[in-house]
Amino acid sequence: MRRCKRRFGANSSGQLLVVAALSIAIIISSTTIYVYELSKEAKSRDSRSITDFIFALKQATRNAMISSLADVSKGGERAILEDNLNNLSQVFMNLHQFGMCYLSFMVFNDSRYDSGICLSWNTNNSGASSAYTNFTLKLDHMMTDIVVDYAVNVTTTVVISGSYTKLEGEEKLVNLTCQVSDKEEPTLAKKITLFYEDLGSWIPINSSNNLSVADYGNGTYLLSFTISTLSDVQVSAHVHDVREIFVQANATCTEA
Amino acid sequence: MKNQNRGQIRIIEAFLAVLIIFSSLAISANLSVTQNTKASSGLASIGLQVLLKLDSDGSLARYIDNEDWHTLRDSLNLVLSAGIAFDLTVYNDQMQQVNTDVVSNGDFSSQDIAFVEYACASQGSDFHCYIIHLYLAVAT
Repeated sequence: MRRCKRRFGANSSGQLLVVAALSIAIIISSTTIYVYELSKEAKSRDSRSITDFIFALKQATRNAMISSLADVSKGGERAILEDNLNNLSQVFMNLHQFGMCYLSFMVFNDSRYDSGICLSWNTNNSGASSAYTNFTLKLDHMMTDIVVDYAVNVTTTVVISGSYTKLEGEEKLVNLTCQVSDKEEPTLAKKITLFYEDLGSWIPINSSNNLSVADYGNGTYLLSFTISTLSDVQVSAHVHDVREIFVQANATCTEA
Repeated sequence: MKNQNRGQIRIIEAFLAVLIIFSSLAISANLSVTQNTKASSGLASIGLQVLLKLDSDGSLARYIDNEDWHTLRDSLNLVLSAGIAFDLTVYNDQMQQVNTDVVSNGDFSSQDIAFVEYACASQGSDFHCYIIHLYLAVAT
């Protein structure tokens, strides 16, 4: 009897050990899975935040391009674009939330673009102010390095077309259509100033010319005015868009 | 026999101890880490989206350029949901504080505070760039 009890006790001890080990193993593996799931969730949230953060940095580079083009189009030096982008690059290095942030850039140069800027104002009936730069954004993140290559092109285009009808004497009534666009999309003008050519000089058009402006709200403006000139009707539209980018376009109006 | 029983009891005791420790770890982690991380991460995401929205048309930098802290505070109040407390600080490129007024809508009594760092450049022909530190918390 005593031998039997001893044998049973010894057997139970072994079984209990196996069960205990098994339970501990289950607990450990459950904990591991739990921690893994938590980290996976955190990683996906982190990557979403990084995506938003990169989008914000791209927005800042775009704003810097707009600011530079606004400045250059109003007579500033073309080197301003590189200066501003260098300044922005220094500011990016002060950001630390998602690791170190480095911005490098290459302003676009070809037959049209000089130092990343193209001011094409001499084309008949249209004018364009544009800035174009290629960027490389590097984020030294804790887990992984992120490199993003992208290009920013900021362009404002103005297209004008017009016709005139003869009134009494030398007086002519001019109807001019002016379309302002941000690349392919229509955009609004902040200010439009018109000039006409008379005996080789450009004369501003104002209220004394019975100037009226119809704003269609989609970047299209219909301008009417009267002028007195013997020569062909040459007009020039000087436009500042809502982003303060200046564009100029010249056109010869035809008789209606 | 007594020695064997004592051994078994010790194993059971050890097992119970381990179970208790792991249970407490699991419960505390579930209560503190998950909820806090989710809440602060969500708040940070909201904060970033709000700043992006204000920056999309250049308004954010314009308010800072014009030192219009009142409008900036009102805009944040308008775009952020009710019940979210914020505190915003603007630094220039030399990391010197720019905002002379406090841009905040209340006290931070919550322990769960989210932080958003944002770089902002002005669109105007006078170029300025700023670093914005935005702290967010659920108002209690």
